[in-house]
Amino acid sequence: MRPINQIISNKPWLGWVIFGITVIIVFLFGLLASSIIERRAEAVFVNTPKVLLADYEPRNEEWAKNYPREYQSYMQTADTNFISMYNGNAFIDMLEIDPRLVVLWSGYAFSKDYYQPRGHFYAINDIQMTLRTGSPKLPTDGPQPATCWTCKSPDVPRIMQKIGPDSFYRSKWAGLGPEINNHIGCADCHDPKTMNLRITRPALVEAFNSMGKDITKASHQEMRSLVCAQCHVEYYFKGDGKYLTFPWKNGQSVENMEAYYDSVKFTDWTHGLSRAPMLKAQHPDYEVYTTGIHAQRGVSCADCHMPYKSEGGQKFTDHHIQSPLNNVSNSCQVCHRQSEAELVKNVNDLQTKVIEVRNRLEIVLVRSHVEAKLAWDKGATEETMKPVLDLIRKAQWRWDYVAAGNGNAFHSPTEMSRVIATGIELAQEARIKLSKILNKLGVDGEVPYPDISTKEKAQQFIGLDMAKLRTEKAVFMKTVVPEWKKQAEIREAGYSKN
Amino acid sequence: MRKIFKKLTPPPFWRVPVILALGIFIGSGLYIFYVSNAYSYLSDNPKTCVNCHVMTPQFATWTHSSHREVANCNDCHVPQTNFFSHYYFKGKDGLRHATIFTLRKEPQVIFIKEAGIEVVQNNCIRCHSHLFDIKEVSVYQKNHRSDRLCWECHRETPHGRVNSLSSVPNAKVPLPESPVPDWIKNVTE
Repeated sequence: MRPINQIISNKPWLGWVIFGITVIIVFLFGLLASSIIERRAEAVFVNTPKVLLADYEPRNEEWAKNYPREYQSYMQTADTNFISMYNGNAFIDMLEIDPRLVVLWSGYAFSKDYYQPRGHFYAINDIQMTLRTGSPKLPTDGPQPATCWTCKSPDVPRIMQKIGPDSFYRSKWAGLGPEINNHIGCADCHDPKTMNLRITRPALVEAFNSMGKDITKASHQEMRSLVCAQCHVEYYFKGDGKYLTFPWKNGQSVENMEAYYDSVKFTDWTHGLSRAPMLKAQHPDYEVYTTGIHAQRGVSCADCHMPYKSEGGQKFTDHHIQSPLNNVSNSCQVCHRQSEAELVKNVNDLQTKVIEVRNRLEIVLVRSHVEAKLAWDKGATEETMKPVLDLIRKAQWRWDYVAAGNGNAFHSPTEMSRVIATGIELAQEARIKLSKILNKLGVDGEVPYPDISTKEKAQQFIGLDMAKLRTEKAVFMKTVVPEWKKQAEIREAGYSKN
Repeated sequence: MRKIFKKLTPPPFWRVPVILALGIFIGSGLYIFYVSNAYSYLSDNPKTCVNCHVMTPQFATWTHSSHREVANCNDCHVPQTNFFSHYYFKGKDGLRHATIFTLRKEPQVIFIKEAGIEVVQNNCIRCHSHLFDIKEVSVYQKNHRSDRLCWECHRETPHGRVNSLSSVPNAKVPLPESPVPDWIKNVTE
């Protein structure tokens, strides 16, 4: 065969043919490339919103225009008809069920009023209604700081963007009343442009930083728990600025958080009876969950509390955030093949066992508070009481760590039993010391257990004037709250229309 | 060898145009390799399977299933018997998928094909072999587990029953991001 060189010089048209073929091939290559690009671009339109949402759009109804299914399921958090063995979503007065709580929280707002939390739908309503937030008349009135709003509304990140978290926390709760009117919702967890999960509360980011971790490195699966951990965690209000802070610097276990509180000499309140420097555990749901088997197997909060739901051939994340006990087939049974009845029984069994020992710790704690009060009344000195009070603080912190959470006894039954066991030991240690002190002060025999068989009796026992508190609250609900609502309506009327 | 090379070498007159043509040819080939994420297909990362967005329902349902923690796409959908059958099947199946996706021939509801069924069934057994172990189960059980496909009974495992292309609106799956590098975006913005 002759070199191509010669062929072409003999037949110049052949050169043009080769040229033409190359042109065609490159042209087809280009077509293939643009086809790939087009199909890639389609991915962008998989999620094309009907209306564009402003950054930090607080109105859930606006998001609903783009995501009606998610919104409708989310609004089912208004349901209050599910009652499980120990919890559920109904409006239940926990002080009525367990009047010992009144004594344990004597001197603290929780002794006035403590209801089982309802769904996210009621976030605004319930914080306005509870006696714990008091009845402020003026924007500068107490008793609570604006920090209490932090977890209640997507209006919070909106305001924090404007005034910064520092001045947010420094405001009074009543001061921001007119600014906050949308219940917990879309913008608390989602980026309005991409719908990606996003952390909107600075406290969690700061807590990660304090542990030397970077929350922006979290995977999507981790984010499906971390958006919940913005609120479902133990926290405290730091310093005069009431700066919302998670006590995670030394770690997230009950001992590590206690060590942190001890190191910064933090006290939530001084107990009304025993005068112990108390800690109030809030709801360390996330911390407790991480010690449980489900977290260790990579299961996120959303996997059980927001499982996939099928509706008319469409699958989507069920935003009806609730107890999986009310939705066993879509949550538990995705992995566990046992019958619904058996699974529910397993959960109830765990909770029953943990609550049994929790109740024992509760009784011992009531006794220790009552005995400490008697010691004070009989003239005990600060010096002799100090180690006792420290033990009471530590014991009740352990009790509260277990009691305050949502579903703790299921999320991590072994860890909860361990914490209660150490709590009982500490409380009894305090009582041994107290019995010696009382002996020296001339008190003989057992200190009688108070009659706290009902909420009313217990509140009377610790000296609360409930009638006054309720009347003030009724006035607040009738005068102040409607004014807040009116101002919020005027403000929102000025928002851009979609 | 040298002879062949010489024959293919273009005459001086044609050299420059041929270099340019070849450059364009190879360059556009590399571009296609890049925008199609071709390199990712060697991995076992499930993210690769949503390079084509029509796989979004399969990916989303898998991430909501119990298999998420223990098995990726290839563990079930590609033979795990040996290296050659693994990559032969993956290459064959992958090219078919790529072709159909490019030609826009995907059906509204994607069903698994005969060859895929066999692979998946074998992979079910690979991990769950104790369900067939005659030392652990009765002959009766073994027979009833061997004469049908696993998912004739376990119909929801792991993807649920029907996965039409529009069955998971708004699902968050790791779809490919824009192929344009950030520095160009920064320049053009």
